[in-house]
Amino acid sequence: MLLFHRTILGFGLLVFAGVAVSAEYDESALLFTRHIAPLFREKCLACHGEDVEAREGGLDLRSLQAVTDGGDSESPGVVPMHPEHSSVYRAVTRTDDAFSAMPPKESESLTRREIGWLHDWIATGAEWPTEKIQEAIRAEYGNKWSHEDGIRVQTSGGLSDSWTNRNYDPKGLWAYQPLQESTVPDSHENPIDGFLQAALPKGLQVAPPASRRELIRRATFDLTGLPPKPEKMKAFLNDNRPVKEAFHDIVEQLLASPHYGERMAQHWLDVVRYADSSGFANDFERGNAWRYRDYVIRAFQNDKPYDQFVREQIAGDEISPDDPEGLIAVGFLRQGPWELTSMEVPRVARQRFLDDVTNSVGETFLAHSLQCAKCHDHKFDPVPTRDYYSIQAVFNTTQLVERQADFLASENRDGFDEERFLKKMEQGYRESLQKLESVLQKNAVAWYASQVEQALPERRPQILESERQWKKLRAKAKKNGKSTAFQKTRAAVMKQGVPQSDVPPSRVGFTPRQNGMQRVATKGLQRLKWEFDRYKPFALSVYSGGTPTYEKVLAPLRMPQDSAKPVVEKMHIRTGGDPFAEGDLVKPGVLSVIEKHVPAAIPETPDGRRKAFAEWVTDSKNPLVSRVMVNRIWQWHFGKPLAGNPNNFGSTGGLPTHPKLLDHLAAEFMKNGWSVKDMHRKIMLSEAYCRSCAHPDPAGLAEFDPEGRAFAVFEPRRLSAEEMRDSVLAITGELNERVGGVPCRPEINEEVALQPRQVMGAFASAWVPNPQPEQRHRRSLYILKLRGVRHPMLEVFNTPASDFSCERRESSTVTPQALNLFNSKNSYDRSLALAQRAWSDIDKDADNRDELALRRIYELVLCRQPEHHELEQVLQSWRAVEAALPREARPDGSVPLTASREAVEELSGERFMYDEILYANQEFKPDLQPNDVDRHVRALGDICLVFLNTNEFVYVY
Amino acid sequence: MPHINRRESMFRIGTSLGSVAFASLLAGDTRATESVGPLAPKPVHIPAKAKNCIFLTMTGGPSHIDTFDPKPALNKLHLQEFTRSGETKSAMESGKRYYVQSPFSFHQHGDSGAPMADNWQHLSRVADDLCFFRGCQVDSVNHPTAMYQLNCGNRFGGDPALGAWVTYGLGTENANLPGYVVLPEVSDPQGGAPNWGNGYLPAFYQATPLRPMGSPILNLSPPPGVTANRQRSNLDLLKSMNEQHAGLHPQHDELAARLESYELAFRMQSEIPDAINLSEESQQTLDSYGVGQSTTDAFGRKCLLARKLVEKGVRFVQVYNGGWDSHDYIERAHSNRVRSVDQPIAALIEDLKARNLLESTLVVWCGEFGRSPDNGVRGGVAYGRDHNPDAMTIWLAGGGSNAGHTIGATDETGMTAVEDVHHVRDFHVTLLRLLGLDDNKLTYYHAGRFKQLSQFGGKVIDKLIA
Repeated sequence: MLLFHRTILGFGLLVFAGVAVSAEYDESALLFTRHIAPLFREKCLACHGEDVEAREGGLDLRSLQAVTDGGDSESPGVVPMHPEHSSVYRAVTRTDDAFSAMPPKESESLTRREIGWLHDWIATGAEWPTEKIQEAIRAEYGNKWSHEDGIRVQTSGGLSDSWTNRNYDPKGLWAYQPLQESTVPDSHENPIDGFLQAALPKGLQVAPPASRRELIRRATFDLTGLPPKPEKMKAFLNDNRPVKEAFHDIVEQLLASPHYGERMAQHWLDVVRYADSSGFANDFERGNAWRYRDYVIRAFQNDKPYDQFVREQIAGDEISPDDPEGLIAVGFLRQGPWELTSMEVPRVARQRFLDDVTNSVGETFLAHSLQCAKCHDHKFDPVPTRDYYSIQAVFNTTQLVERQADFLASENRDGFDEERFLKKMEQGYRESLQKLESVLQKNAVAWYASQVEQALPERRPQILESERQWKKLRAKAKKNGKSTAFQKTRAAVMKQGVPQSDVPPSRVGFTPRQNGMQRVATKGLQRLKWEFDRYKPFALSVYSGGTPTYEKVLAPLRMPQDSAKPVVEKMHIRTGGDPFAEGDLVKPGVLSVIEKHVPAAIPETPDGRRKAFAEWVTDSKNPLVSRVMVNRIWQWHFGKPLAGNPNNFGSTGGLPTHPKLLDHLAAEFMKNGWSVKDMHRKIMLSEAYCRSCAHPDPAGLAEFDPEGRAFAVFEPRRLSAEEMRDSVLAITGELNERVGGVPCRPEINEEVALQPRQVMGAFASAWVPNPQPEQRHRRSLYILKLRGVRHPMLEVFNTPASDFSCERRESSTVTPQALNLFNSKNSYDRSLALAQRAWSDIDKDADNRDELALRRIYELVLCRQPEHHELEQVLQSWRAVEAALPREARPDGSVPLTASREAVEELSGERFMYDEILYANQEFKPDLQPNDVDRHVRALGDICLVFLNTNEFVYVY
Repeated sequence: MPHINRRESMFRIGTSLGSVAFASLLAGDTRATESVGPLAPKPVHIPAKAKNCIFLTMTGGPSHIDTFDPKPALNKLHLQEFTRSGETKSAMESGKRYYVQSPFSFHQHGDSGAPMADNWQHLSRVADDLCFFRGCQVDSVNHPTAMYQLNCGNRFGGDPALGAWVTYGLGTENANLPGYVVLPEVSDPQGGAPNWGNGYLPAFYQATPLRPMGSPILNLSPPPGVTANRQRSNLDLLKSMNEQHAGLHPQHDELAARLESYELAFRMQSEIPDAINLSEESQQTLDSYGVGQSTTDAFGRKCLLARKLVEKGVRFVQVYNGGWDSHDYIERAHSNRVRSVDQPIAALIEDLKARNLLESTLVVWCGEFGRSPDNGVRGGVAYGRDHNPDAMTIWLAGGGSNAGHTIGATDETGMTAVEDVHHVRDFHVTLLRLLGLDDNKLTYYHAGRFKQLSQFGGKVIDKLIA
């Protein structure tokens, strides 16, 4: 009562005091208004608030009375003046055994300051002023506090006023500020070095320049994903010009290399989650996805201005509907896993696409994980749910389609002749169905016979009538389609009014195996529809229009006759993320927190929403887009970004270590026409990039830069999985250097290649390698990327899966990597190819041919010449291996022609077996095999295996 | 931003001590046993009985109605038309649908009187060791998404699997074996390998699938014809070259870990085949699991191997059994499935018990969802059932679970859970709790957020705990 009274008194004072005179408030009331109320709202009310069903432990934190009463534990949540007896306080300290730690998630623990506020609030009497009084207090103290507590931010508004009015720590809002142009420090020629120097911890030295060998190797891997060729290396080492000048030329050559685009595309595809299949139950192939992959390669190769690159990926079809390039570019919007089977609710599948694309656009271009605002206003960042659905409304008219888009002259169409294997498969499935059809026909006859015999006398006439109809209608059905005549007859008989129970069941008399075979063939034909699309002039694309109604999508979707026909849906806030909920209507919009810098006008017509949105994204005043890209490019060179999370510039992502540098680069990026190549030049010609990996004072480095944020030394990195595989192929001379084209299938472990994989109702087909070596030995970027089968080597060396955007690769060392690189057939094959190459590169009459072959291997693999003692050691090993090898090697290049499949047939729950024919293997041409070379070269193969496994090869310094 | 540091230091530990991952399979190697790397044993959050978990996954969605949750009401409703309303219908549900009675008869077993379909001839022996849970619900009506949710907590795949979380939380008990082993079916389930992925957790916590065909672990041995001596001599040259290289790069601490990973790999080649060899088991044991009988051999071997692995300290073993998606002919199909798992599972529980391992081993049996009381009836004979995310039966055994009790209930047709109804996230949180882990503490910073198995937190289902 006393408390209540005091609160009333406070209110009274205010009334008398009017606005001009400061009211005197209790310290406790001030604490509550300023800290405790917002704290409860942010950290507690989700589980201790209005929603009775969600309320945990019966505790309600919405009024003093309720808090004092406490929850199920029956101990008061708050005992005024006594924090030590208040369960709420005891729970947040997380050290009290009597109460479970709150909030439950450890990562959301209250800070020491917050706990202190709670303590003080209770100790000063736990005042709980009314809303009105709180408002008055805020009116009086708001300015003063906001200065101390953080700032308000203008957005489109949250689902609640408290969210809309909350304060933010300005530190976490850095990314929304316009680019700050600061004076470039004049200490260095390259502004990058100037900015880094200015931020260098006092007392910290920087590492000396890297050696020329290190530098060219580093740069070549960074820009092409391949090692420098020995002649390039020699030329650079022998270039008499100062290193800076000579290196400048190297960078220019590399930027012009046809492999530059491939390397950058790999980075980009990590971010967009590229895959050649759609995931989930069917994992259907996306036959046209490769054209988007190649679009990305072309864009980087041609240094397409980044803003244009962004716009095309969001709205290429709207910007240039007649240009195949525009239709292909929007393949970006299709990168998420997606399918619609008859087992799924169409609305849910549609919402999944919308959610995927909304988040993907946010992460990729704006470094905002928008999905955090899907169910509720963003917990930490000024991103309201309203923005999430406004941005989603931009895509509300975006429809999926595999769309006609003529092949460009620049698109590589090598390997299209492999379509013949698909045709053979198709033929095989059709024949299988044909056989099953005759089984059904035969079984139908038997079925009638047994039914007639078993039927009760009164039913017999019906069966006989059914049989008569059957015989009559069968002939017609057979004329219309050989392999489906049984089903057609069945349907026709029933159409005549014969009840289902009087016609043969749809799989009459099938054995489990026949049931299985029918599923396999039917499914196989369905899957082939998607695979044939590889060779057709279609693009994985979108169009703008109303949302069509599908029940299921089991074949590539083509453009509808009339795209405007279905009504354009209105966009509601899907309250709580429920696809069926209809909250407020929203209009297409943008991220409102930066709208004041970059106003947007998105039309509500079906067409043009994405175009307008893309223009907003790439507006030069948009503070996010340029920062996001230069941050990525920086990471591609230094292994770590300037701002800690390239996909998350919000307050929970890492703050920029060098904000001035980041802004400088972002501004320069735009000034130079959004040229990515220009950004590489700037970065790579900096002293920081050219530094050695060896620091002269490791102790000082550890002391002054424990987090490794100063870029005072270059950090070595392990080759990525793709670089490793591609480099090995380049070194052995087997690499097919053609750029782009349909996905390739290298040989992989048989266990994986033939591993049966369930898809809805049946199996996916086996992984069958391309028959010709040059088709198999393409760059890893081109390997068919199925969501359901990972390439074992790429997987083990940390190539990300296609489920989520990968902002930065992991490179942990795990034992399966050693098993792969040291034991796999692939490693043995490559080593033998290298041995053969090195051996045949040397004049066969040379009297020190062995030594010269080894020197060749040193320069190819390690980019250097050996020391004398190294050469001696390796020569000795070679001889020892050779002595232990048998004179003859056994041939080892055979491939299976069939794959045995065993599965549980779901109609019967019984196992059945069948053989899948691996057509392409019938023409398989193996790589060089041990029995193709003599023992001397075979032994050299083992030496090569060792070289390809060395740390010196797999790390870049 | 304290969590940023934590994350970066995680990377650091990761890269410098990586070689202990996949865990050194070298028996008695003290360095590995004393490892302080990411897989070192970690203290539990909450005291717990369960140290290990064997997760028996029946893919396709076993029917609760035809196994452990009898619905006599369906006998009366049999072949009466069934209707479902609402916009949440999928195309699967088109056409007329009918209630379908269970083709199986049920009896109660043990002191607890738990009902089981009569074809569970073996499992019924251990009825009192089981804790049935009938209150679980999932979000997805489709296999891959439901499988992802069961395994990883998220319907869309890509998140770490339960086994990866447990290994991350507890480390490996025995540094000589991997922490998380998967024994897959001959064919991968829908959704494939992401069902046992490590997601955003570092690769140390990835599953080691032991393949049923070919090499149990990829590239465990070199190509045929390469002798151990030849390999050793190659390895010696590699070691020497790597050591010389390391001498030139003293500041590069990953080099030592990578060098060591080769030595571990070499020793694994000889250790793994022993670790998974069943031949030292007695004939009696083999017989009890049904090894050697065609219907039970495959699953019997896997259950026996699971026991062996747990006995050796493997933290989490997931065993797959496929083919439970009985849309038609459920009598035949489910009978066959039950026959293939019944004896092996009963043997596993009895065997664990006999070795005093059941107390510390949590055994879980479940599918990705249950099945519906209705079906489209094909030709009046092919009685089957469709998917049902609103009701299923899961059972637990051992590991501190509430043996001899049935928790939760479904409505009279088995259409939906109505008592002790919990989202699968609560089930996940409960499993973690049984293993001594607190879902709210078992978090990992990724993409700007601390993530957890339950996605956004869940409730422990106290009734499932003894």
